Amino acid sequence: MRPARDIVPSIGLQPIHWALLALVIAGTVGVPQFRTLANLTNILEQSATLAVLAIGQSFVIAGGMIDLSVGQLVGLVTVVACMGFEAWPGMGWAVVLLSLALAGGVGLVNGELINRLRMPPLILTFGMLSILQGCIFLLTDRSVGTVSPAISFLATGRVGGVPVSLLLVAAVAFVAWFVLERSVFGWHLLAMGNSAESSRRAGLDLRRLTRLAYLASGLCAGIAAMLVAGRLGTGFPNAGNGLELDAIVAVVLGGMPLKGGKVSIAGVLGAVLLLGVLNNLLNLYQVPAFTQILIKGLIVIAAILADRPGRRAQPA
Amino acid sequence: MNAATATFSLSRIPSLDKAAVWIVLALLLVVAGLASDAFFNVKYLANLLRQATPIGIVAVGVTFVMLLRGVDLSVGAIVSMSAVACALIMNGKPENLVPALLATVALGAVIGLVNGLLIAYGRVSSFILTLGSSIAIYGLVQMSTGGTARGVVSPGFREVMNSRVLDNMLPVLVICLAAAVAVGLFLQSRTRFGRHVYLIGASPEAARLAGLPVLRVTVAAYVVSGLFAALGGIALLARTGVSGTNPGEGMEFDVLAAVVLGGTTFAGGRGGVGGTFAGVLVLFIALNLANVAGLPFATQLAIKGFIIIAASAAHSWLGRRGSGRTET
Repeated sequence: MRPARDIVPSIGLQPIHWALLALVIAGTVGVPQFRTLANLTNILEQSATLAVLAIGQSFVIAGGMIDLSVGQLVGLVTVVACMGFEAWPGMGWAVVLLSLALAGGVGLVNGELINRLRMPPLILTFGMLSILQGCIFLLTDRSVGTVSPAISFLATGRVGGVPVSLLLVAAVAFVAWFVLERSVFGWHLLAMGNSAESSRRAGLDLRRLTRLAYLASGLCAGIAAMLVAGRLGTGFPNAGNGLELDAIVAVVLGGMPLKGGKVSIAGVLGAVLLLGVLNNLLNLYQVPAFTQILIKGLIVIAAILADRPGRRAQPA
Repeated sequence: MNAATATFSLSRIPSLDKAAVWIVLALLLVVAGLASDAFFNVKYLANLLRQATPIGIVAVGVTFVMLLRGVDLSVGAIVSMSAVACALIMNGKPENLVPALLATVALGAVIGLVNGLLIAYGRVSSFILTLGSSIAIYGLVQMSTGGTARGVVSPGFREVMNSRVLDNMLPVLVICLAAAVAVGLFLQSRTRFGRHVYLIGASPEAARLAGLPVLRVTVAAYVVSGLFAALGGIALLARTGVSGTNPGEGMEFDVLAAVVLGGTTFAGGRGGVGGTFAGVLVLFIALNLANVAGLPFATQLAIKGFIIIAASAAHSWLGRRGSGRTET
């Protein structure tokens, strides 16, 4: 079979990258504290969680679906992992594997329920959001547990000045880029996003694609939870609140339409960085927290309006 | 599908679809009656309805949006905003009562109008857009209060709304809920708007080709939703007497669960205000039973999520059986 490279449309550089460049230049010129190496590294480190979550969301959105449960899944896995790290201090790796299995398992349940109940992903994962939140508060209503040193190193450590979390994001992004933009699986997923009906008639196994896309989304939520746990040092039950929306906004800003069929991991990463830089600049400018909430809401609205069908920028 | 089965399924099964939530409600009432002797006390039931009033009023408005295959997740934020704005304008003075109520309702309608215009003319996902506007409204509310509860209700407002008439049995708030449901039923079955909502929800493309004013009806539905959300916020303010900073937080979950339970699923064109009212009752009795059984708040969250999924799956299954449709 010919490599999917020739067939999967590559979107290449997105408007978002130019916007990011403009914002970074503006920050560099206008805000002295912004251009320090420490601040820039900090932005990269703080963006790692959202980057991994947005990459996970790219899998489902590429197929024309959505996963609203990832925010609370991050919260649940964070709490469970930290409880595990405290209970079995010597078995950090087992706890990590167990946490990833839990996250992937919830993803599989999402995919399987969507298949079996024939339900719109939006409602199913919205219900799952509430269920997972309930599960978190059944376990605890306050921060619990601790993290293993390896996990805090993963989230906050540096190797030769480079954040370890950045390396992790690069690895996850490379795998996602390869799977979504260079493999037959990615090609099929995009076909399903373009037209589920035609893909089914062409003989694609939509149930399998759905299952695997949600598995990827769940696994990414598990990895993101490790980063959150490493940064916080404890299992905070509200750690994942609202993260699903941030991830969806990043994906949409990155140039992927919500109806599916297009993918650009580079665009998604650019959008994540843009949001990180914007957040950083708002903080440096000491914009009040409540005003930042308003701005965040307006960005969500702007992102969704930019997603309008028929107004898409053509591939550069 | 041949004509005979079509007649059969169209005449029989859809009524099951419509009756489902009432059957569940009846079963739940039996269970509740068996579980607690105090349940069928008039005062207890009236109080249950009083608790359900804000969510019930909001759910009536959201029903119209969901009949059109949309969703309005900003209602929780609009409820918060309305309670806060109403208390701020009242400012503890009796002469401010009427202006405050009018301004609050107008504010809710304006937000609904903005939502509706962006959704109808921008052709964007109502789910994400209203999530975004809910965050923006939340930011605005917090900016205007500075993060602490402010504003005082007019004297008498809380007292009158919480009083009971007819032998001290029927709370005024419950009358408000009944009025909201009645207005909703009227809009739904006696106006051109209601007829259009059903037709457009059942098949937007066919409705457009038939020349129905799809965009205008869509905008109107979000205005109705924003308006009822503002009324729900006022009802919440009346019930509690204090505005708080974010009293409507998470209310969109309850509302969504109630509407879906009532048979107005995301598929559009099916369900209605009557079912929504039954859905609100089912939700509140179920959560009330969970309370009586001593289940923690966390379990209630999980139950809500389960209800959203199960009710939606059940209704789509009944709908598939009813109309022979295979799509979801």
